[in-house]
Amino acid sequence: MKFTAATPAPAGGVRRRVAAAALVLPLALSACGSDGRDEVGADGKVLLRVAVDAGLEKGAVEAFDARVAQFEAANPDVDVESQEYTWTAASFTAQLAGGTIPDVFTVPFTDGRGLIERRQVADIGDQISELPYAGALNPNVAKAGQAADGRQWAVPIAAYGQALHYNRTLFAQAGLDPDRPPTTWAEVRSAAKRIAERTGQAGYAQMTSGNTGGWVLTTLDYAFGGRIEKIDGDRAEATVDTPELAEVLTTLRAMRWEDDSMGANFLYDWAGINQDFAAGRIGMYVSGGGNYGNLVTQNGLKPEDYGVAALPLADTPEAGVLGGGTLAVVSPKVGDRGKDAAVEWIDFYYMGKLTDQGAAVADAKTLAETGQPVGAPALPVLDRATYDRAREWTREYVNVPLAQMTPYTSKMFDQPLLTEPTRSTQDVYKILDRTVQALLTDPAVDVPGLLAEADAEVQARIDRG
Amino acid sequence: MSRGLISPSEWATPTTRRVLRGAQALLLGGLLLAGLGPVLWLAKAAVTPTQDTLRTPLSVFPNGLDLANLATAWTRVEIDEHFSNTVALAAGSWLVQLVVATTAGYALAVLRPRYGGLVTGVVLGTLFVPSIVLLVPLYLTVVDTGMINTFWAVWLPSGAGAFNVVLVQRFFAGLPREVFEAARVDGAGPFRIFWSVVLPLSRPIIGVVSVFAVVAGWKDFLWPLLVLPDPAVQPLSVRLPALQRYVELDVFLAALAISTVIPVALFLVFQRLFLRGGALEGAVKG
Amino acid sequence: MQSPTRAAAAGPPPAPRRRRNPATWVRRGGLSTLVFLLPLLLVFGAFSWAPIAQAVVMSFQRTNLVGPAEFVGLDNFAHVLSDPLLWTALENTLWFALPALLFGYPLPLVAAVLISEVRERRGLFSALAYLPVVVPPVVAVLLWKFFYDASPTGVFNTVLGWVGLGPWQWLQDPGSAMPALVLEATWAAAGGTVIIYLAALAGVPADLYEAAEIDGSGIWRKVWHVTLPRLRGVLITTFILQVIGTAQVFLEPFLFTGGGPANSTTTLLLLIYDYAFANSLGGDYGAATALSTMLAAALALFSVAYFRLTKSWSTS
Repeated sequence: MKFTAATPAPAGGVRRRVAAAALVLPLALSACGSDGRDEVGADGKVLLRVAVDAGLEKGAVEAFDARVAQFEAANPDVDVESQEYTWTAASFTAQLAGGTIPDVFTVPFTDGRGLIERRQVADIGDQISELPYAGALNPNVAKAGQAADGRQWAVPIAAYGQALHYNRTLFAQAGLDPDRPPTTWAEVRSAAKRIAERTGQAGYAQMTSGNTGGWVLTTLDYAFGGRIEKIDGDRAEATVDTPELAEVLTTLRAMRWEDDSMGANFLYDWAGINQDFAAGRIGMYVSGGGNYGNLVTQNGLKPEDYGVAALPLADTPEAGVLGGGTLAVVSPKVGDRGKDAAVEWIDFYYMGKLTDQGAAVADAKTLAETGQPVGAPALPVLDRATYDRAREWTREYVNVPLAQMTPYTSKMFDQPLLTEPTRSTQDVYKILDRTVQALLTDPAVDVPGLLAEADAEVQARIDRG
Repeated sequence: MSRGLISPSEWATPTTRRVLRGAQALLLGGLLLAGLGPVLWLAKAAVTPTQDTLRTPLSVFPNGLDLANLATAWTRVEIDEHFSNTVALAAGSWLVQLVVATTAGYALAVLRPRYGGLVTGVVLGTLFVPSIVLLVPLYLTVVDTGMINTFWAVWLPSGAGAFNVVLVQRFFAGLPREVFEAARVDGAGPFRIFWSVVLPLSRPIIGVVSVFAVVAGWKDFLWPLLVLPDPAVQPLSVRLPALQRYVELDVFLAALAISTVIPVALFLVFQRLFLRGGALEGAVKG
Repeated sequence: MQSPTRAAAAGPPPAPRRRRNPATWVRRGGLSTLVFLLPLLLVFGAFSWAPIAQAVVMSFQRTNLVGPAEFVGLDNFAHVLSDPLLWTALENTLWFALPALLFGYPLPLVAAVLISEVRERRGLFSALAYLPVVVPPVVAVLLWKFFYDASPTGVFNTVLGWVGLGPWQWLQDPGSAMPALVLEATWAAAGGTVIIYLAALAGVPADLYEAAEIDGSGIWRKVWHVTLPRLRGVLITTFILQVIGTAQVFLEPFLFTGGGPANSTTTLLLLIYDYAFANSLGGDYGAATALSTMLAAALALFSVAYFRLTKSWSTS
């Protein structure tokens, strides 16, 4: 690409200009991955700022504070300070540069590889390798927190696979059996059509904006047996213009323009589609399998409306379910003592819920008491045995309609789990946002043209690195 | 009552009067529909259950009221806290802007130093710089000076608005210079003239600048979003789009309504002072 | 004031010969002038001029804000200019700016003239016109986003249904999304312009009208020869400010559509934002600042040309 080749300049000139820049810019944020600094208080304790979800209920905050107190009691040389933090892509870099990021925070799988590549999180590989379960991480899930060389830079703390969420009430109103959700995309299409005709609501809706359009389109591509990128050694090739994705787009186009079963909003992002689904305006949509919690606590979903089914997969060995999850990472600004403390905290607070009976029960109890869901489907971060054991510990606190989730939970372990595209993930998703938006808002759009264009754009983006 | 463009004799002409009255009536109708309509709808939706608002958005309470929405919005969404943040942000920005604009306007339009043209030029120049250019470097400045999560991070940069300076400068330049002359002859120094002559004369433009300053105080949301990451100090503008993600529609609309009612109420008080009270026109003539 | 010679000058002050002596400078009011300029110099220096300079430097650099910045010459500019999205964004911005100006400039003037002739309840008119400006802009956008619901039960579509129209797609169609944005933006901003014009209209001395009437001028002649010339300063300023403002439209596309559907509302500023912030892994600040500086330069050139032109009008 023309624009990646640096304009030749005399070496001396470049150096001088760089020096000038160092004077002009207060950009001298020297905190690279390697040379972070610990903040040590007068009492000799190392300060650790840990992220806590923003906007928690009082009971949940108290429970969090109680965990902090327990941790401080067990680690007398650490002073934990909690900081409300919610991952937002837009302000992350600026916050990182400004030093307003907590020392320990969580990011979605999608961004893990990129953050690691750019050294925007700390290398905690040594500390992680000392964790008792370091070798027991689910390999498919562990990959999201690894650098290209396989070193573990981040700890996966939760994992999910994409699933088909559906509204049981709308199914019933449309004369469909809520206990037998669609298992193929042809069935999805006919169910959507029926729901739209009988209830006037969107039969099937899809996310399209804020990079979620690309995320879900990738999900469908995988489900039809396609891939967005093909990695061959160091080289990555865009594989957008494929028969699989063409089939996805053709199906969606038929649902949108022939059946008119996709509703009237084609600018949904994650929050928006959850809200409309919870309000009973959407028959089916694709999102993460653990979405129930958000739907109930943030969007007031009526539990009896809710159903979730395994994502229908095409009948090919290539077909699989796109997975995702959450990584716990450490800010590159902390020093060695901070990193040790941070991994202790990750082990104690995040992983404890999965590995330690006391912590798991306490966590489930708090969640249940504050009206948060316990027992929503999730995929194992560690091995299946650990997962089943933790489920057993918290069984009595489960407050989600498990029976309505069996169409998903009975199949989720058997579906092949696939990871997200690894190169320029968010940028690729953004390009695909446009593809799916064009498909759903422009009746004249031509599928091969759309695919060829997206393929070229994705390839260009990958090449730029 | 002062007269305007149309003379009393023209008002007496039946055709002129009819056309004017007709146009004004049309305007009033349009203003009622466009100005008041959405606000009234929001007020209605604030106390309507979600499903009614979704299914029949323009029916008036088909299934009764849901006053609980307002209470939920007030408590859960903590409108009060974010509202007072908004007020604090707007008030501080207003003060900073007013100080900068009036002092600079006075210096540039009345005192007129030799380098005034240059200063005016570089101030005007910033008008053409998209605010987004400043976002990253300005953010780093704020971080370097430790203003993050403090209102100063919003107050001080707001003063760097060329628009106000230009408006005030133009207004001051239009003031009759004889007045300053007279004051000068009476032995008043530049500070005296500024305080006792220029400021009292500039009530209309201060009113306009104040209106803009306060409106701008509500407006900006990207900047406060970046520099006020702590929800406890965030203004409504930042909080509301975030809330949309996890608040049910009826409660969310109630939150929107509350966020609107307070400035509208303030406006009605303030309108008497500024719009109807004739501050704008009265002082110009004075 | 200690310098009567300067104050007496009606036009721009004649440049004093030399002021070698600081004492003379202080005595002539130089110091107090500087004191009055101090707030401006400090605030603009720290929060406008310095960041602008920094942005210019950054447009020649590549940085992720964590490692040291690296100079890359004109790479960022080349990258931006070769991005097909740039031209889409430019086109979209024009599609926002032109209709927004078309409605947002003359409409408030007509309304202001009409309102200034209202004998009773003038306050009601101005209050109604201004009401949308008082609605917090974020609230306005979130509210209109709901109004624009494209289903037949959406607010606007319900109204259209009453007169047998619709349902329209509003934000859900690449063709109508931008006009929908313009509509809301005009609604939200027009009242502010009306108030400016009203203030300016009130400043037109009544005796000028009376003099024109003595010369036998009718209403239109008075508008043309008295009102508009008296408003020229305000009109010239508001026009250029509106051009600059609409060229930087951000809030509406950002909150309404995020630039969609299919990039039909991706404006220049949204593109800049996307360069800098859409990628969670650290934006391309180089590309963002490069596009910003280009936009700024283009607007500056336009403004200079505009003021040149309007100056020749005023002197004629």
